[in-house]
Amino acid sequence: MMQGSSLKIAGLVVLAIVLIALPQVVKSSFAIDIFIRILLFSFIGAAWNLMGGYAKQLSLGHAAYFGLGAYTSTIMQIDFGISPWIGMAAGGVVAAIASLPIGWLCFRLRGPYFTIATIATAQALMLIFLKFRDFAWGAEGTTIPNLGSSPLMMQFETKASYYYVVLGLLALALFITHKIEQSWMGYYLVAIGEDEDAAGAIGVNAPRIKRDIYMISAFLTALAGTFYTQYIYFIDPATAFSFNISIEAALVSIVGGIGTLWGPVVGTVLLETTSALLQSWLGSTTGGIQLTVYALILTAVILWRPTGLMGFANEVLQRRRERQQAPSRARTAP
Amino acid sequence: MLETVAQAVINGLLIGGIYALVSIGVTLIFGVVKIVNFAQGEFVMIGMYITFFLFSYFSIDPLLSLFISMPVLFVLGALIQHFLIRRVLGPNDMPQIFLTFALSLLLLNLSLLLFSANYRTVHTFYSDEAFHIGGLYISVAKLIAFVVAMVLSGALWVFLHTTDLGKAMRAASQKPDVAVLMGINPNRVFAVAFGMALALAGAAGSLLMPFYSAYPFVGQVFVLMAFVAVVLGTLGNVIGALVASLMMGVAESLGIQFVGADSGQIVVFAMLLFTLAFKPNGLGGGRVR
Repeated sequence: MMQGSSLKIAGLVVLAIVLIALPQVVKSSFAIDIFIRILLFSFIGAAWNLMGGYAKQLSLGHAAYFGLGAYTSTIMQIDFGISPWIGMAAGGVVAAIASLPIGWLCFRLRGPYFTIATIATAQALMLIFLKFRDFAWGAEGTTIPNLGSSPLMMQFETKASYYYVVLGLLALALFITHKIEQSWMGYYLVAIGEDEDAAGAIGVNAPRIKRDIYMISAFLTALAGTFYTQYIYFIDPATAFSFNISIEAALVSIVGGIGTLWGPVVGTVLLETTSALLQSWLGSTTGGIQLTVYALILTAVILWRPTGLMGFANEVLQRRRERQQAPSRARTAP
Repeated sequence: MLETVAQAVINGLLIGGIYALVSIGVTLIFGVVKIVNFAQGEFVMIGMYITFFLFSYFSIDPLLSLFISMPVLFVLGALIQHFLIRRVLGPNDMPQIFLTFALSLLLLNLSLLLFSANYRTVHTFYSDEAFHIGGLYISVAKLIAFVVAMVLSGALWVFLHTTDLGKAMRAASQKPDVAVLMGINPNRVFAVAFGMALALAGAAGSLLMPFYSAYPFVGQVFVLMAFVAVVLGTLGNVIGALVASLMMGVAESLGIQFVGADSGQIVVFAMLLFTLAFKPNGLGGGRVR
């Protein structure tokens, strides 16, 4: 047991060194852009996974928080000159507060109807930001003023710096997930995910736990919104509240394995790599091909490996361990 | 003023008939198979493209293409139920939600790939015709669509209440375990229910074509409306879905008339949120799940 955990720590250290060294070794800005996308969607997936994976509250409306985070920091920056670093935290708080009424409405339904309600709330927020052009630039959106190199305003000259920011975000999300996994809350979440009524019957305060995890999940998702807006220097309701953000958050977690620490990361690596390869083969103009392939992968995972790639990996490891143990047991038998 | 309101109500009722076909499909699948079909809107889209291609290559009138789109989608539905949905039925929500969601994503993006994002329209001799009664204006194509939609909904109700298969379907939806004990084959019943729901979506597609454009995302418009109507009309209830759909159509039309052309969707979302806040079990007051 001791050996196993020190092996894990060694693996983590190696992984951290590789990830930190990566942009120093790989200089192609196309490649770094893909790494940033992978880290960003792993992060969003990890935020989704806290609620969608452990507690099985399958939201398809996380774009609501992505957009709220993006708009909060951008409005603070453009109208008041406040640094997006502060705006990022503020966006997280706004999203966490917004999750209270949204959750109050959506948690009245369960299963698929919860999912539909979350889609509707995200779409409704997008419509609101489209309608009210006075405080949020309406449908045209706005560009973020480019200040050149200004780390204090979250603007960097090299893509590598953005890479480190989002790497830090992902590390934060994974750390939080790990802490929750090991706490009582983690067990409560899994219990709610297995059977909410039964969890309630044995004394789990399901509505409160769901509310709390939704707040944490919304907070983290909003940070991604700020980062993304700073990275592409542009914001409009269609990108900030894009349904594709909600889809991808859920997709990477399901393909990787919901309710596992590394699932969203594994899923994102697979999906984003596939999407990058497709784009370089077919050119970026072929609309629909990326999501067609995502849909096929999702269907395959659901039909054959509902536990995702992590579940599959665990099964293989388990089987191998059993096979190693089987001969020794045979030998000791009289 | 009164005339404007009356006109808006008529327009809303007419389009509400189409919403009803989509919602009845969703509620039928939910009632019998116990899953929510996220791809229902995409089957409306497929119905529209079938109708469009039949018209542009063989000059078949959209109303006649009902007799092609409905059977094609019925078979498609039975196959999807048999080969895909059947494998994920059970107490676990996740695979059910995301299988039909993946199906929706797949069909939408495949049609984007195959047919491009262009708007396709069919122009028939009755597309621009209208009755003028008093100061009111009633489009012929929409009236035909509404009447056929009501006939189909009525036929479904009669089927569910008078035929053996229909009764078996209602039995399987109310007490699946007991239904099996009574000798009802659930797989067959589920396949027929899924096929019928898709045939209704196909009919909606054909009926829409004389006055509505087909494009890959068109299903999203209808499916969202249908989901709201199904919650509003109490999950799994056919009559509830029908009445709620007509109400939604009228509410949307009044919203467009009095709030602004782009606020139809806002009215729909507002209705959904109010339903969730005050009547989460539907207007009929049944139970959720």
